[in-house]
Amino acid sequence: MALLSVDDLHVELQTNRGMVPAVRGVSFAVEAGGTLGVVGESGCGKSITALALMGLLPEGARVRGRIDLGGTDLLGLSEDEMCHVRGNRIAMIFQEPMTSLNPVHRIGRQIAEPLRLHRGLRGANARDEVLRLLDRVGLPDPAKRIDAYPHQMSGGQRQRVMIAMALSCEPDILLADEPTTALDVTIQGQILDLINELVDDSGMGLILISHDLGVIGETTDNVAVMYGGSMVEQGPTDSLFEHLAHPYSQGLFAAVPRVGERHDGPLHTIPGTVPELADLPPGCAFADRCAKASDVCWGPAPGMAEVGAAHHAACHHLGGAV
Amino acid sequence: MQATATATTTENKAAAPGFGYRALRHRSFMIGLVLTGTMIFAALLSLLWTPHSPTEIVILERLRPPSLKHWFGTDRFGRDILSMIMAGAQTSIVVGLIAVSLGAVVGAAIGLWAAARRGWTEDVIMRLSDLNMAFPVILIAILLTAGWGPGITNAILALGIFNISLFARQVRAAGIAMWEREFVLAAKAAGKGNLAITVEHILPNIVSVIVVQATISFAVAILAEAALSYLGVGSQPPDPSWGRMLSESQKHIFSSPIIAVWPGLAIVLSVLGLNLIGDGLRDLIDPRLARQR
Repeated sequence: MALLSVDDLHVELQTNRGMVPAVRGVSFAVEAGGTLGVVGESGCGKSITALALMGLLPEGARVRGRIDLGGTDLLGLSEDEMCHVRGNRIAMIFQEPMTSLNPVHRIGRQIAEPLRLHRGLRGANARDEVLRLLDRVGLPDPAKRIDAYPHQMSGGQRQRVMIAMALSCEPDILLADEPTTALDVTIQGQILDLINELVDDSGMGLILISHDLGVIGETTDNVAVMYGGSMVEQGPTDSLFEHLAHPYSQGLFAAVPRVGERHDGPLHTIPGTVPELADLPPGCAFADRCAKASDVCWGPAPGMAEVGAAHHAACHHLGGAV
Repeated sequence: MQATATATTTENKAAAPGFGYRALRHRSFMIGLVLTGTMIFAALLSLLWTPHSPTEIVILERLRPPSLKHWFGTDRFGRDILSMIMAGAQTSIVVGLIAVSLGAVVGAAIGLWAAARRGWTEDVIMRLSDLNMAFPVILIAILLTAGWGPGITNAILALGIFNISLFARQVRAAGIAMWEREFVLAAKAAGKGNLAITVEHILPNIVSVIVVQATISFAVAILAEAALSYLGVGSQPPDPSWGRMLSESQKHIFSSPIIAVWPGLAIVLSVLGLNLIGDGLRDLIDPRLARQR
């Protein structure tokens, strides 16, 4: 039994064009200590999936399916019950460490918040725990930095503070939504190493959302590729990187230049643009950008089919791709 | 190269000096501070001492021009105008302070509630506030006076009710913008409820909006109190009031125009002072200047 399993998750968002499907039947599972990378372009539904897990979807959103965390269906919980799950059993790290901290409070106080909320720690106990956490995430000189304001810290330091906050209640699942996108490349590496190390030590499950394939490849055991609100390919990272089954995954990976490889001419691109969620084509969402598309692709959407050990893809032309 | 780097560092340091330093350099803010400080000092001093009694009538010395004995002259009952101005500052400050505190506390609470709840709660609150704002403050005061008779309490109440709507709107607008910020999402992700987020994250970040609005509203309250007293529905004799001094001096405007000048000047300078402070605070509290993000 997986620690977290998401089954046939659908999310519809309210927009000025009516209800728009943003996530369409996504399923995945994360084991304790397991890591799942979610890749996809902007607007493919990966962040909405994360917000659905947290129960933080925008006003008016409709959600269907099942999100099972250790035997509890999170979608069945009330708002009050969800407050005990958030920050306690599922914690989240955000993309922008510069804006994810409240500018008017000292960082020590902000990290102490979830400790007070979920673990009932106060005063000196809370402060000791904050110091331990800051030390754990590798912030130099915690005793001095604990009373700093966010604007006195660099982006990397703030992201460490965010991670300390997320770890404070030893969550079962850590959700990291593009945690390194806003950081310098050198700092990115340090933060990823830190996240990896923490996952190994604590045995929590990690869901890492990113559009950076390098980040995903280095950090995760499993990968899910999302397009147009659905999962198009899913499998163990090694197997998937080695053998890309879905045309979209192939295009996505081909678009990344490789260091040391001779390259003439423009970089590979996927023709067309990400479709508006409001007017997704019928059938396979990728059909109108796909080089392999044929008449069958405009019919019913393809289901997930096995292409390797625990490796699945949703495409009508898998035979041709292999 | 070295020189450029040094110059940049110095510039960064100069861009983020302390609040006190920047306040001292802000000329109009300092002028406002001096004017308002003078008014507050006069009011405090009048509690202990005035040159003459502000209510003592000496008919023999009526309508005297300024002299060493009466610096600002005397009015038609022979009362010392300087003493009346000093004591009148008390009335203005008391009215302003209570009306603004009432508006700021209740209005901010309502505004925060509207920003946190959104939906129909917000709609109802805002439409009620529209309704309230559609009545000019003077009209509300006159309505209250018609019901309960003239007096300073009704003037304060009228101003307070008006201020509640004003603060509720301002705080709601600033609060909604704050709710969109990522650290609020992060706080939600940490499992905090709406009340905790409002108190710990929204309110501290919009205090500047409330402070600036309070200074401006204080000035408006002083002006409104003077207007109401001038119309006879504000503070009642013998309590000294700048507005009533103006209305009383009207009869002598051609024989002794100086009598009208003093209360007029007092009103103008104190309102100017508070407005300058409000504008100055808006500049000084601006986070883009205060801290480098």
